[in-house]
Amino acid sequence: MRRALTVTAVAGAAFWTRRALRRRIGRSPLWPLPALETPVSGHSPRRRLRARIVSRTQPAEGVLRLVLEAADLPAWTPGAHVDVVLPSGLVRQYSLCGDPSQAGRYTIAIRLVEDGRGGSREAHARLVEGADLELRPPRNRFALVPAASYVFVAGGIGITPVLPMLRAATAAGADWSLLYGGRSRASMPFLDELAAYGDRVTVLPQDETGLPDLSPLARVAPGTPVYCCGPEPLMAAVLAAAPDPASVHLERFAPAAAAGPARPFTVTLHRSGAAVRVGADETTLAAVRRELPNTPYSCEQGFCGTCQHRVLAGEVDHRDELLTDAEREDSMLLCVSRAASDHLTLDL
Amino acid sequence: MSNTPPAPGPVASEHMDLNARNVSFDWEDTPLHWLPSDPFAGHTINVLHLLLPAGERWFVHVYKQVLPYITDERLRADVIGFIGQEAMHAAAHDDVLPHLKRLGLDPTPYTAQVDWLFEKLLGDRTLPPGRAREWWLMERVALIAAIEHYTAFLGDWVLNADELDRRGADPMMLDLLRWHGAEEVEHRSVAFDLFMHVDGGYRRRARTWATAFGALVFLWQRGTRFFLENDPGLPAAKATLGQFFRAGQQGVLPSAGAMLRSIPTYLSRTYHPSQEGSTAQAVAYLASSPGANGGVRA
Repeated sequence: MRRALTVTAVAGAAFWTRRALRRRIGRSPLWPLPALETPVSGHSPRRRLRARIVSRTQPAEGVLRLVLEAADLPAWTPGAHVDVVLPSGLVRQYSLCGDPSQAGRYTIAIRLVEDGRGGSREAHARLVEGADLELRPPRNRFALVPAASYVFVAGGIGITPVLPMLRAATAAGADWSLLYGGRSRASMPFLDELAAYGDRVTVLPQDETGLPDLSPLARVAPGTPVYCCGPEPLMAAVLAAAPDPASVHLERFAPAAAAGPARPFTVTLHRSGAAVRVGADETTLAAVRRELPNTPYSCEQGFCGTCQHRVLAGEVDHRDELLTDAEREDSMLLCVSRAASDHLTLDL
Repeated sequence: MSNTPPAPGPVASEHMDLNARNVSFDWEDTPLHWLPSDPFAGHTINVLHLLLPAGERWFVHVYKQVLPYITDERLRADVIGFIGQEAMHAAAHDDVLPHLKRLGLDPTPYTAQVDWLFEKLLGDRTLPPGRAREWWLMERVALIAAIEHYTAFLGDWVLNADELDRRGADPMMLDLLRWHGAEEVEHRSVAFDLFMHVDGGYRRRARTWATAFGALVFLWQRGTRFFLENDPGLPAAKATLGQFFRAGQQGVLPSAGAMLRSIPTYLSRTYHPSQEGSTAQAVAYLASSPGANGGVRA
């Protein structure tokens, strides 16, 4: 008798639990696990985008302007650039120079560099209208800080990140001026668009006015942000001419991934205080493993990300194509990247 | 120790040097129902994309911590190869998720839960250095060995699932599954060897097998139901056990019988993963996989 009661009670409880569960699960198939508030999966900043080239024009001599479209292109802010994966697999960075309010559409401009590393030659030869292009999501390391006034300096194709900034500054009612240098008017893109801004824009073609006169920069009020994108000598001159180098924002053409010759340097392992000498003919990882044999790594080619470690001090010469800009701020891949200075401190 | 197992018999010829492969897949042209005529089986396989990114990142996280416990150089090299392969698996499956979202089936509600499971529940916890921390590390190493028994089982299955080709499955998806499956077969012994090397207790092996098997069944059925109920193209679809058995009989999913038979295999005291599956077949596939050989570019 007692046994029958127990069996009935257990069966009843099981039946009731099953019905309750069914009802809960019916309301949501995902009851009852907690969820991570900021999900990690499926939000990889390393994901690839695919866009179609819907227009290809030549706004100036040797400059190619491409308009790319896809439904799911992420939003971007002025100063952002995208990594473009060229058909051969080469990856190159180009600033976005279109209108950020146009969802699903990116515009980039590429100057042909005949004696360059081949990226622009391939882009000019092979990127045709109607073709599909692989991109990585936009990143911004040249973002416009809110201010009442700005000074922009652009050299040649360096106008590309500045162009959307001018529109944003105008829309925000800020006071701004632009110095735009180049070799000749025929080689300087977007002059017609800039003409609409009137005397806020000073065009300085080298064949008419010589090297750009940066003396107006000396009169800039301290604290006014100066944004400069152009060839290396121009940026050095802007840094020298500006009264307050701390408010100068620079965007370099050359990607950090450009692999120069390997130089020896020293790594300090912060936790033990040990110093390791990295020779010119070995990787940072190999040197660190002499001291710490259990340092995790795997592919040794900079694609799996296992050997990513925190950098506490020193300039890194990033030679991978995996880490995002945010990750590059304070970490590196030991297997391929090296020091840009003579010394690095790692959190190891 | 009373529960010391008899030495498991690895098959010597099945050993390979492991290296991560840099893969590239292009999802643009893959439809939501990439296995035509059988969305149930397609979605059951799709659950992999929900579980693997978080799960395999967790493998990497745990294995990075276990490196100092390894005293065998060959095993260490295997584990290092394993880590890179798993990191690439996580990244490759992660790339499918935004594509599913584009096709109208947002997986985030589910993946956020899987993320919680691996990042929080199975994460490092706040443990003092010493025995507690080591116990939890070994428990997770054993869990991974049990899960890898199933990934190798599934890898072996997908390499031989000719029915998927006959049904006209999307070639890109099939390449992802077979590249992944082949690497799982290639490195199937590593997780088990590592567990035997650092702990090897039979009770732990049985206990973690039960946890892993229960969790996999729970997560898998839930994922399949989630997909079928939220699929914009199938308003009235429901997942049933009958569909699962039928798909197994037809060869578009592993059969229930094969799954049941794999249980005593793992629990046998003479089990070693190299006794099942074929490294030669896996390596042959990897040599011809488009995704693993420079990727597919338009």
